Amino acid sequence: MQFQRIVTGKIKSDLYYDLIELFSGLFLAGFLGMHLIFESSIIAGKKVFNNLSQTLDENYLALAGISLVVVVFFIHFLTAGRRIPTRCKEQKIIWHHTGRLRHLNTWAWVLQIITGIIILILGSIHMWVVVTDRPIKAETSALRIQSGYLWFYVILLLLSVVHAGIGIYRQFIKWGWFPRKPLGYVIGFISIFFILLGFTALFTFLRAGGL
Amino acid sequence: MNTIVTDVLIIGAGLAGERTAIEAANQGLDVIILSLVPPRRSHSTAAQGGMQAALGNCAMGRGDNPSIHFEDTVKGSDWGCDQDVARLFCETAPTAVRQMAYWGVPWNRVAAGRKRLPGGQEIYELKEYEGLITARNFGGTAKWRACYTADGTGHTIQYTLDSIVIKLGIKVHDRMEALRLIHNGDKCMGVVARCLRTGKLYTYISKSTVLATGGCGRLYGASTNAVINEGSGMFLALETELVPLGNMEAIQFHPTGLVPVWILITEGARGDGGYLLDKNHHRFMPDYEPKKKELASRDVVARRMIMHMRKGYGVESPYGPHLWLDIRHLGEKHINTNLREIANICRNFAGIDPVNELIPVRPTQHYSMGGVRTNINGAVYGIKGLFACGEAACWDLHGFNRLGGNSLAETIVSGMIVGKKAAEYTLGTELTYSYQQVNNHYNIVRQKIKNIIGGKLNKKRHENVFELKNIMEDVLMKHVGIFRNGKDLLKAVNALQELYHRSRNISLRSSGTGASPELGLALRLPGMIKLALCVAYGALKRTESRGSHYREDYPRRDDKNWLKRTLAYWPEEKDLPCLKYEPVKITEIPPGDRGYGESPGKGGTS
Amino acid sequence: MKNRELTLNIFRYDPNIPGREPYMQPYSLQETEGMTIFIALNQIRENQDPSLKFDFVCRAAICGSCGMLVNGRPRLACKTLTRDLPEVITLMPLPVFKLIGDLSVDTGSWFRQLSIKTGAWVHSDKSFNPNCQEERMSNETALKIYEAERCIECGCCIAGCATANIRDDFLGAAGLYKIARFMVDPRDERPEEKYFDVVSSEEGVFGCLGLMACEDNCPMELPLQVQLAYVRRKMALIGFRV
Ligand SMILES: Cc1cc2nc3c(=O)[nH]c(=O)nc-3n(C[C@H](O)[C@H](O)[C@H](O)COP(=O)(O)OP(=O)(O)OC[C@H]3O[C@@H](n4cnc5c(N)ncnc54)[C@H](O)[C@@H]3O)c2cc1C
Ligand code: FES
Repeated sequence: MQFQRIVTGKIKSDLYYDLIELFSGLFLAGFLGMHLIFESSIIAGKKVFNNLSQTLDENYLALAGISLVVVVFFIHFLTAGRRIPTRCKEQKIIWHHTGRLRHLNTWAWVLQIITGIIILILGSIHMWVVVTDRPIKAETSALRIQSGYLWFYVILLLLSVVHAGIGIYRQFIKWGWFPRKPLGYVIGFISIFFILLGFTALFTFLRAGGL
Repeated sequence: MNTIVTDVLIIGAGLAGERTAIEAANQGLDVIILSLVPPRRSHSTAAQGGMQAALGNCAMGRGDNPSIHFEDTVKGSDWGCDQDVARLFCETAPTAVRQMAYWGVPWNRVAAGRKRLPGGQEIYELKEYEGLITARNFGGTAKWRACYTADGTGHTIQYTLDSIVIKLGIKVHDRMEALRLIHNGDKCMGVVARCLRTGKLYTYISKSTVLATGGCGRLYGASTNAVINEGSGMFLALETELVPLGNMEAIQFHPTGLVPVWILITEGARGDGGYLLDKNHHRFMPDYEPKKKELASRDVVARRMIMHMRKGYGVESPYGPHLWLDIRHLGEKHINTNLREIANICRNFAGIDPVNELIPVRPTQHYSMGGVRTNINGAVYGIKGLFACGEAACWDLHGFNRLGGNSLAETIVSGMIVGKKAAEYTLGTELTYSYQQVNNHYNIVRQKIKNIIGGKLNKKRHENVFELKNIMEDVLMKHVGIFRNGKDLLKAVNALQELYHRSRNISLRSSGTGASPELGLALRLPGMIKLALCVAYGALKRTESRGSHYREDYPRRDDKNWLKRTLAYWPEEKDLPCLKYEPVKITEIPPGDRGYGESPGKGGTS
Repeated sequence: MKNRELTLNIFRYDPNIPGREPYMQPYSLQETEGMTIFIALNQIRENQDPSLKFDFVCRAAICGSCGMLVNGRPRLACKTLTRDLPEVITLMPLPVFKLIGDLSVDTGSWFRQLSIKTGAWVHSDKSFNPNCQEERMSNETALKIYEAERCIECGCCIAGCATANIRDDFLGAAGLYKIARFMVDPRDERPEEKYFDVVSSEEGVFGCLGLMACEDNCPMELPLQVQLAYVRRKMALIGFRV
């Protein structure tokens, strides 16, 4: 072993990083699910949506929740992002490798990196907007969506669900919590469900727009 | 000249080579192993079946002991083996197996309880043996004695031995091919070798050298052996002009090579209850061998199969006639677990699912009993400081027929013994060599290479090395196979002699620079043809039938004239080996009936 | 079956000749019944180009010598039937391993280094007593160890692994599988922390991204995911204990 490795001794940081990545990811995926479910309350009507939002706000849940999410969001970026090939040479190798191999899960990972980076940007914008535009109301949300933000949300929705789905799939694989094949199907179905749910909500906002 | 100096130089990183290396390293000696391939790729890993050792733990092996093993081995060899060697081997084998267990081989173990054998027989494994090493059935033995790890016995033993080699820090120079032994007419001092990564030549100087280069199956066109088993250690020794090869005519054919790729379907298939069927789907072996049926000794089964095919019961195919191996009745579960490797081979290489299809098989070259002749200590005849063990050697444990499972055991046991003896020798000797002598040998190799590469101009004919090799393979397959006779053997000898002359005019079609594979073969081929001649000429001269050597014109064993071992020498500038003979050592069991083989069943002849 | 005319595009490169650039060379070949890449390559060497370098030993998918990229995917060439491939076949050497020439790579040295790095032998303070019976072991344990030792070190998992392609020090599936083999072996007396030192880093199990190209390309169809997950869980547990 080399000198610098001997003097640094054994470290557990890689384990901790891995766990932080895991739990922050799971948290964010969970949050994404809740977020989409809350949001889809618009389908049941403007009132339901506003009431829900108000309840959360009154109990400071929204404030606490949003701040936590923002922190975890960036922690997740820092821990998961350390795996992203950063050097040009590496990226080229990976690109060649993935192209040759034609392997679904490897493609999925490349997709996850790309979605992750875009989410980092779009998610940040989204959070900024929401935080500065509080409290959350059906009217403001609808207005936002009608004023050209629709495509922004369509993309963010798709990317987030895909990113979360692949992430959870890979974590389950890595820890061996579930057999591979059925896991793929289950996560696929759940992802499609959330995408549909999100679309319906967006559509409702768009329609509700006339108000 | 790149020179490397060591105490003990071992050529070959198969089981025999690595076991020897460990023994020598444990005596505190500096050991280097050379190998054509990384150790774990050696041919030994392909052995699936098992390793014989009289442990007597399993129900069907109860009461077993080294003496019964000894008796099986001697009978199996058709009294061609040296009995003092066989005795030493059988006594040591149990320790060898246990030591491998200590080092990490996951031998299958006895699980207590009642069991039903595929044949319907019920056996009971005793509680008191539970957890000890168990064994399976192999052809030609009185007891179940082949210790095994599922279907990867050779693999696990090789991986375990190699792990110990790594642990001990023994140096392995892989992709390094020994081309010539360095000697001074009295003593061996190492080898000249060619690096198969770069093509560079090296000289290795050592106090003692051990040949553990494996068999020469690839002399034959249809062989179960790995493609690197070209017998190079044997012709290296032969080319010293001092060292004889023993019993080269003793070639074993395995009854069940998969048609047409010649991959071995192990004895395990029949041991677990597989049948051999003919074109009418008739199970014919009980007709010939009512008692042992499919599990008679290998040479017997192989001969019965050929005989049955000659009678017209073979299945016709583009690759010649063959027979069927049937394991369907063993059931899907058994096939996919216990015989998984066999099932995979059938699926991957023949597109056959043995769970519900028949497997096409035919006897195929499998093992060379002959090799570099050594004494009981593994010391090679005729030269000091040179040892040999494993399949490359003629120690002589197998005589004219090797029992299934005895050769894995031989590699380990002989490795232990020869390693120790080589170490003793090494500790008692000095490293003396003259630069001049080493340089001479080095230059001979260099000149050879030059002649092959640059010789295009001054040669009358430009022979293609691949073409010559194919001819050699065909000649042996056709005329020096399972059934032999004087006429065909003479044809073979003549054809091989001509081939030998042609091999002096080999020209390359590639540049031959660097690690050229064509040059590699061109360097080996003349030696291989010499070995082929030793096989064919030895067979021609041996006018009797013994073990796997079966002469149609001399169908009986002739103890009066032939209870002896062939020793083939090769004087340079000759195109035939010079044959001498020595008596076989008989210490305990005088020649008699083999007992289990060749019973005069209703389908049999003699 | 109609016998096709195959085209094999083969990667050619000799690192020993300075200044020589790699290139792809096409060879045409008549397909025969039951032809494998092993048969095809040997025919090319015998009849067309004797300088072509590739490695085969057992030609029976046992020894692990013949890993190469067949149409981009790591395969054992000896057990790849041409009938399962299109008419144009591309052959390239395995990535990650040192290139010896053409299709030949040095998997042997890589795996040897791996064994040294992971201490891949049974660590025990007991000495062998030739006069004693072997230590007992249940047959299930024996089979479990065997299952974990079935890797043939062909390198296909490593070549397929994205991480291994960019991280020279990554143990890869083969390395972690090897460690699992000794973890399930009761004869190995290594304290658990020893394993932690070797594998609980980015070079080891926590460098794994879970892409499973290893499992999907393993010619032996080893349960790599299950074993890798086992090592990961075990390492996490040990990590909190030590
Ligand atoms: C398919 C098959 C299955 C078998 N199954 C069984 C079985 O179940 N039970 C059993 O007992 N036996 C079995 N055998 C026989 C047994 O496997 C071999 O006899 C035994 O493994 C030989 O071991 P070895 O160490 O002598 O040689 P090998 O394992 O062949 O090793 C030879 C070594 O020498 C090296 N070498 C060769 N030439 C040179 C050179 N010129 N320079 C440098 N290095 C060189 C090679 O690289 C290799 O490392 C089987 C054989 C076959 C073909
Ligand atoms: S040649 Fe041995 S695995 Fe292909």
